[in-house]
Amino acid sequence: MAPHLQADEFFSSLTDLLAKTTQKSRGSVTLSQKPLIDNITTTQPSILIRATDGNTSAPRTMKDGKVVKTKASKATKVKFSTVVPADQLEAFYTRYAEICKTGMTGLKKRDRKRKAKGKSGAKAAKA
Amino acid sequence: MTYLETSQAYLEQSAQLLEAYPETTRITTKYNFPTERPAQVLKRTKSQAKSNKPAPTSSEPAAPIASLTLKTYNPESGITVQYRTNKLQEVGRLMTGLGKLAAGADVASLGLSAPGADVEMTDAPEEGAGSAPAPAPAAVKGPAQGGKGKKKKGGKK
Repeated sequence: MAPHLQADEFFSSLTDLLAKTTQKSRGSVTLSQKPLIDNITTTQPSILIRATDGNTSAPRTMKDGKVVKTKASKATKVKFSTVVPADQLEAFYTRYAEICKTGMTGLKKRDRKRKAKGKSGAKAAKA
Repeated sequence: MTYLETSQAYLEQSAQLLEAYPETTRITTKYNFPTERPAQVLKRTKSQAKSNKPAPTSSEPAAPIASLTLKTYNPESGITVQYRTNKLQEVGRLMTGLGKLAAGADVASLGLSAPGADVEMTDAPEEGAGSAPAPAPAAVKGPAQGGKGKKKKGGKK
């Protein structure tokens, strides 16, 4: 497995991955977090953060008009990880949350805005 | 296990699960676009066109709405706590919550008792670098409820 990334690299990779997925409106991004237990831990353990696209951004190949699943391979699967020491968790998560917020734009935006837009649009249509 | 109704319930129950099994519990977050058959795409595009007649929002008129699924799983006990949303405005709060969970925050220090209240940033024990590791484990052990509270909540659903 590839070595863990530094926080900065991790964030830029994640930004890319989210942007790509959102742009294609297809596939998924899976993030996981769990404590990294290394037997010598006496204090709060570091947190291991992993991100992957679950091979969903691999190109789709068609055969006889049907989508053929490509086998997950190192070439097509995106996956990266980082380790966050306990004392940097807060700073890390502040940025992490920010990146998720700006990256996951495929989610529903606030309804209020949409309604407002709809109304003004309707008026314009009538006039 | 079923999906929880509110993000607050999800974070609270996740905190309890992490308290009970701090070493083996993991949290996964999945940002997912649904896979649709062509017929489904057509149906959705039509209904979207109906709901916002005037030029569907400039960005991507035909894009499906993604979803965000949060799952806290403990393989030892087989307990899963899940929450799913499709609202962008919840992402920030959820991720901040996950950060607190990662730092070993307990239910009380999540600061979620008031529904809808913004997450306070005060309780995370990271600031003082030197003294950081000490208070966190204490907080984990503090409320001696562990699995009990979790099961009780599980019964409610």
